[in-house]
Amino acid sequence: MTAASTPVRTPVRAGAQTPRRRVRSGRGAAGKSRAERLAPYVLVAPAALIIGVFRLYPLALGVNFSFTGDGDRNGQAVGFDNYATLFDDPLFLASMRNVGLLVLLLPVAVAIPGLLATFVYMRVPGHRVYRGVYFFPAVLSPVIIGAIFNLLLAFDGPVNALLGAVGIGPVDWLGDPDVAMYAVVAVHIWATFGMALVVFLAGFATLDASLIDAARVDGASLPRVVRHVIVPGLSRTIQFVVVTTMIGMLTSMFGLLYVMTGGGPEGSTYLPEYYIWFQQGQMSRPALASAASTVLFGVMLVVGLAQIAVLRRTGRED
Amino acid sequence: MSPLRAGRWIAAIPMAALALATVYPLVFTANVAMKTRREYVLDRFAPAEGLRWDAFATAWSSADMGRYLANSLLVVSGSVALLLLFGSMAGFALSQLRFRGSRVLYLACLAALFIPFQVIMVPLARTLGQAGLIDTYPGLILAYTAQFLPFTVFLMTSYYSGIPAEIIDAARIDGNSVYGVYGRIMLPLGRPALLSVGILNALFCWNDVLIALLLMPSAEHRTLMVGVTSLRGQYSADIPTFAGGVLIAAVPVLVLYLCFQRQITAGVTAGATKG
Repeated sequence: MTAASTPVRTPVRAGAQTPRRRVRSGRGAAGKSRAERLAPYVLVAPAALIIGVFRLYPLALGVNFSFTGDGDRNGQAVGFDNYATLFDDPLFLASMRNVGLLVLLLPVAVAIPGLLATFVYMRVPGHRVYRGVYFFPAVLSPVIIGAIFNLLLAFDGPVNALLGAVGIGPVDWLGDPDVAMYAVVAVHIWATFGMALVVFLAGFATLDASLIDAARVDGASLPRVVRHVIVPGLSRTIQFVVVTTMIGMLTSMFGLLYVMTGGGPEGSTYLPEYYIWFQQGQMSRPALASAASTVLFGVMLVVGLAQIAVLRRTGRED
Repeated sequence: MSPLRAGRWIAAIPMAALALATVYPLVFTANVAMKTRREYVLDRFAPAEGLRWDAFATAWSSADMGRYLANSLLVVSGSVALLLLFGSMAGFALSQLRFRGSRVLYLACLAALFIPFQVIMVPLARTLGQAGLIDTYPGLILAYTAQFLPFTVFLMTSYYSGIPAEIIDAARIDGNSVYGVYGRIMLPLGRPALLSVGILNALFCWNDVLIALLLMPSAEHRTLMVGVTSLRGQYSADIPTFAGGVLIAAVPVLVLYLCFQRQITAGVTAGATKG
């Protein structure tokens, strides 16, 4: 039995008197020692402390930092100065423009694995092999992927050689400010589509196969089956993939950027996470970096809230 | 032939092309690593003239990949051990024991799941610095544990809530304490989930570069992935050695994937179906 095959239950219901949660009352309240009563707290304590001190508390601390100064004004309250600096900084504005670009490319990043999952589900010849092969880059570090694509996308590398063979001139993939961001996003999609594919396939497993069979017997074309049977049946999976893909693009491209472009050329491949690292690690401006972190968190909050809103709406339709 | 049947064969063509595009970059890199510098400059696509392992040996010794590998192994095994221990303890308590505040703790854990590292990295680095934990192994292990603990607790809680309370009741009647139930029942029963979550966490920690870059500045403490990022500058004129170093870093993950493909995909989809 794997984690995935276990039926899901509401994990915690502290107040409810469900009969199956009787561990503590197994031998009646009178028979319990003090140690037994404290046991649940002892078990939870390490996780609660670590999560509280190193995940939740820093969030508040960071928002606080963002309203203090850097350098000479270290520790002093400066109001919204950092945010003003941020939105005056062409690098930060470039990173926010790139976030907009990611949002525009999101449908592509979701449609590719969705379509491939449909093919795998339809048992295209060789589908078992494909599934394993496609997922493989998803386990490699962005650093390794970036290093490999540094070779592949070099001006005299294989990709340009292949394009040259069909008569398309060499492209300076990572050196042209108008191209570099697209190149990095394409590599990111190449590296992660297998992850979304596997999630889609888990969603397909819950689809009612007889509906698809019925559509097939009626002679429906593939695009019609996808549009009228598969997409409505997978709405929850699609939402999950949309949100995780967006979060992935916002928070796991650092390795690629660091190795492939270093934010360049001309700052054209900055993303907020790279900007935060740059200000903190290279420029020693933690307060400014904290302000950028807070903005990034705001962006992610919007993504999360949008998801909840969509989930609510479909929940009502169910 | 139904349209879907025909569609299958048409779909097989782009699928095969994509599978090729997925595998080729690695094959290309491996081929480059087998070449001499001269071979690479003359023709980077032709198959290497023979199986040469010099590039790997050079990367291992003079680029210090061996030391970085040892650093990574130490940090990853420490982090995964802590994650599994703390994650299973909390998962057991949150799913099977009733106590005041358990719901709040569970919700706090869920909230932490949605805080990316980039958002908290500045204050976290400062806190760890004040505790004297920057550039130390315990500091990095602690950072990884904190980073992936919410996910681990979440998955262990949902796995353990599928275990019938009768099993636990029976163990209690046999005279086990709560800790006895954890050690004798929950840990053995949780093995499949622990394996799956453990492998995923090992991958996450192994593949990370941002956290290690931020918290382990000195060269001798570099993890393998940080080591890979420094290869490029070091071997810009010796691409075969560069490729060899990259592959050394990729091989452990490759092996892990080939051995545990099922557990890895199960872990990924568990996050999806339970989110």
